[in-house]
Amino acid sequence: MYLASGGDDKLIMVWKRATYIGPSTVFSSSGKLANVEQWRCVSILRSHSGDVMDVAWSPHDAWLASCSVDNTVVIWNAVKFPEILATLRGHSGLVKGLTWDPVGKYIASQADDRSLKVWRTLDWQLETSITKPFDECGGTTHVLRLSWSPDGHYLVSAHAMNNSGPTAQIIEREGWKTNMDFVGHRKAVTVVKFNPKIFKKKQKNGSSAKPSCPYCCCAVGSKDRSLSVWLTCLKRPLVVIHELFDKSIMDISWTLNGLGILVCSMDGSVAFLDFSQDELGDPLSEEEKSRIHQSTYGKSLAIMTEAQLSTAVIENPEMLKYQRRQQQQQLDQKSTTARETGSTASVAGVVNGESLEDIRKNLLKKQVETRTADGRRRITPLCIAQLDTGDFSTAFFNSIPLSGSLAGTVLTSHSSPQLLPLDSSTPASFGTKPSTESVASARPAGDSVSKDSVNATSTPAASSPSVLTTPSKIEPMKAFDSRFTERSKATPGAPALASLTPTAVERLKEQSLVKELRPRDVLESSSDSDEKVPVAKPSSLSKRKLDLEVETVEKKKKGRPRKDSRLMPMSLSMQSPAALTAEKDAMCLSVPAPALKLPMPGPQRAFTLQVSSDPSMYIEVENEVTTVGGTKLSRLKCSREGKEWETVLTGRILTAAGSCDVVCVACEKRLLSVFSTCGRRLLPPILLPSPISTLHCTGSYVMALTAAATLSVWDVHRQVVVVKEEPLHSILAGSDMTVSQILLTQHGIPVMNLSDGKAYCFNPSLSTWNLVSDKQDSLAQCADFRSSLPPQDAMLCSGPLAIVQGRASTSSGRQAARLFSVPHAVQREATLAYLESQVAAALTLQSSHEYRHWLLLYARYLVNEGFEYRLREICKDLLGPVHSSTGSQWESTVVGLRKRDLLKELLPVIGQNLRFQRLFTECQEQLDILRDK
Amino acid sequence: MAKVSVLNVAVLENPSPFHSPFRFEISFECNEALTDDLEWKIIYVGSAESEEFDQILDSVLVGPVPAGRHMFVFQADAPNPSLIPETDAVGVTVVLITCTYHGQEFIRVGYYVNNEYPNPELRENPPLKPDFSQLQRNILASNPRVTRFHINWDNNTDRLEAIENQDPALGCGFPLSCTPIKGLGLPGCIPGLLPENSMDCI
Repeated sequence: MYLASGGDDKLIMVWKRATYIGPSTVFSSSGKLANVEQWRCVSILRSHSGDVMDVAWSPHDAWLASCSVDNTVVIWNAVKFPEILATLRGHSGLVKGLTWDPVGKYIASQADDRSLKVWRTLDWQLETSITKPFDECGGTTHVLRLSWSPDGHYLVSAHAMNNSGPTAQIIEREGWKTNMDFVGHRKAVTVVKFNPKIFKKKQKNGSSAKPSCPYCCCAVGSKDRSLSVWLTCLKRPLVVIHELFDKSIMDISWTLNGLGILVCSMDGSVAFLDFSQDELGDPLSEEEKSRIHQSTYGKSLAIMTEAQLSTAVIENPEMLKYQRRQQQQQLDQKSTTARETGSTASVAGVVNGESLEDIRKNLLKKQVETRTADGRRRITPLCIAQLDTGDFSTAFFNSIPLSGSLAGTVLTSHSSPQLLPLDSSTPASFGTKPSTESVASARPAGDSVSKDSVNATSTPAASSPSVLTTPSKIEPMKAFDSRFTERSKATPGAPALASLTPTAVERLKEQSLVKELRPRDVLESSSDSDEKVPVAKPSSLSKRKLDLEVETVEKKKKGRPRKDSRLMPMSLSMQSPAALTAEKDAMCLSVPAPALKLPMPGPQRAFTLQVSSDPSMYIEVENEVTTVGGTKLSRLKCSREGKEWETVLTGRILTAAGSCDVVCVACEKRLLSVFSTCGRRLLPPILLPSPISTLHCTGSYVMALTAAATLSVWDVHRQVVVVKEEPLHSILAGSDMTVSQILLTQHGIPVMNLSDGKAYCFNPSLSTWNLVSDKQDSLAQCADFRSSLPPQDAMLCSGPLAIVQGRASTSSGRQAARLFSVPHAVQREATLAYLESQVAAALTLQSSHEYRHWLLLYARYLVNEGFEYRLREICKDLLGPVHSSTGSQWESTVVGLRKRDLLKELLPVIGQNLRFQRLFTECQEQLDILRDK
Repeated sequence: MAKVSVLNVAVLENPSPFHSPFRFEISFECNEALTDDLEWKIIYVGSAESEEFDQILDSVLVGPVPAGRHMFVFQADAPNPSLIPETDAVGVTVVLITCTYHGQEFIRVGYYVNNEYPNPELRENPPLKPDFSQLQRNILASNPRVTRFHINWDNNTDRLEAIENQDPALGCGFPLSCTPIKGLGLPGCIPGLLPENSMDCI
């Protein structure tokens, strides 16, 4: 549970309630202003370059949006503060209000540039910009807080104009039509806020139970200091309260039950209005509300709640026990962390075994005091407590009251995640208060203090009759009062605030602009001179360029750093003329009319290849080093963590590859030699059917792709063939398709990434090429499984599948697709199909880690969406026959994972949904039986 | 949002003779480590009529300040009696504790101080020329008056960069409440940023 506040200090602060601290008083408040709750800042979000005008949490709490006078809207990742997901640029004026669509598909902003913009959360791009109702808008309002109706149908703007009268424009979601408005306020509308509840007419006893259409309720606040409350089923406002405040209304917030409303004004006061159900109607329950959402927009994250399951009948206590156990575990974890922090706090509270009281007694003696270079005293303060979550021990806290500034900032309801945006860090004022005013308001308070102080002084020092009783002495007291609030001249840097006119501000800005420009000029001139240099010395430059090229070439040569030794991506796209000569050199029997010809490596004098960086291993090849009896010898040198070996081969080495287990080289005359890591030859040279194109090693697997586009994979340790001269014709059917990347997984599965974005892997057991990835796959685009993602950022699951598919598929932009354009049912099917294909691809690639990841994700999605049949099938397969029979075809493992262990991992997931309690108990019981055996 | 908030100021050794030093035990909380020192000052107001008679009793730098709660005792010598107008020596005056960061004052804690003769005889017939050695200083510790001011807590260098990095296209929307950069020759002026003036007193 978080609270966000935006201030005129450009910051957004995210707060969390500190539960371990009880109520406390504010320093100097004489115990009157108790803070009932304590809130701690957990994140400070910095991005805006101007005052933050509004903040809003998205309906599913994944995002926080903020808008500012810097003309931008920033979307923050609420799961990972302070990550910025998007900065929405497009407004050309101060952005003064934000609202999310209740189903999370859009966000709308209203700005001083006389426009209201709706942005898509899919790609954070502009959906529409509405300007017509705002054309006539002149003047400025402090805020423009617009609001979206809880049923999602209507968006209501702040300050709009219709026939030169101020209105709140109603914008329909369907086509963004602007046909209706709320009229009646005499001055600009500053705030619109929909009640979070949807209502229906209260059924009167005895009257016919005719179902009435549900309606929404909306509060409108204006600069004319009045508030109006509207029901969408009525043509006239339900209630109008005139002159509620002395100044413009700044913000409105409804209570969660929808019956109370808090309104605050620029005059520094807050009003609370209480409605009865007779006045507003019967609020729909959350289930009813989500049913409305589902019928209109399909299922969305914002709608899914646990409340939907509250009606289920519990059939087996195991399930509940299980759920309780989970909660208990979480609690335990929390309490241990709390205890940890508590202990650190108490350690801090008792520094070196002393209590705080002892410390206070000796503080003066203990504190370190030094002199600075200019002779000033400098005190190192004694740290008495760490600061993190604020879970301090209460005992410690009672001795020191909490600060006041923390208290001032927060005044919203505590439990709700959708929060009242605080406009500035000024407490209660929601805006800046002119200083003169506040001083004035402080004065009378000061007077009362001085009267109070008369009593106060006489009480503690009873022996002394107060001197303050004479009126002549009270006069100076008033003079003192101002001293409390005004910065004194004795303090350097205290500005005379009142004297600063706007022109002064302008002048200041200009100055800063000038300052800002100067370094730029310098920069430009220096870049000019840079350009002149090459003209003057072209030779030196070209030389430098040459050097550079040489460097890059060298880098390319060495540049195959691999962190992951299982995989070896390599580009095959280059086709050098050298390759042609190599072809001739190779003296190969030309392949009979090869439809495909893959590029071949040209013979090089020498080259180096880095196999892995950890352990550091590289191969050096030097061709034609020595000539012995007319034959030229080539040298192969391999260095692994400083240990070197070398060997010689006849004929030139064309290409080399290595892994932690083997090193292999392809020579002229289609010969392939394989060596162990210590340089021992493992096999007599293998004769390839055609010249080599690419060579790869992973583990003990060696993959050779020949120029005639056939692929072979051998396991040299076990001396078996994995893939035998498999032609690539079937996958390279297209005319201009090329292989952009080749991988060999650690299980010896070759994977080809093609230039058209498709990726195939060869399944040795079926002898088929299987499509494992397709960048154009529309399924991946509409798939929405965000809700099923584990809480930890497990999308960082790495493996061959992730490499083949690229990271892009998991980007948050694509994630946002979940709410989009496709009907929900279609999307659900697409998601299922996508997840299934991912599981199958991971299985084919024999990537156990990824298989587990996707299987769990798939299962979680099935659980969330309530697909029982498929879930049951998975469980059945994972469980296998409980009573082993000899004729069973069931394999107990899948890609090296024990199926029953997987099922055990799956059970907690299943246990989350009460609907699957039977399945849960079945599996649980059978697993128990198996365990007991 | 202020990075430093004062949690408590305890007045030590109160009441005490006029000539004994002031001692305040100050505890404060800092929510982010500060790059520079805080500067604390004790100002004794000699006369209500004019700031001329203000005496800065002492100023200290306090640092380094990491995030967390800290406390220290601020001790300063008694005011110089010769600088106090004779008519104002006895009676009520004010002592102020201020704290500044980067030369900007963000909190001011004020206390009423009552200087009087504990001796009833002297009280009845006070000497024409105040006898400071007989005066007792009583700080009204139960009633501090706290005023907080809104200041710019960020580094000045950071601010410069922030302005330079600004998209010129967006420059037109540069906020009116732009906090000026210190070091432009204007001593810490903060136009647009009005004091919070959160008087926490009744």
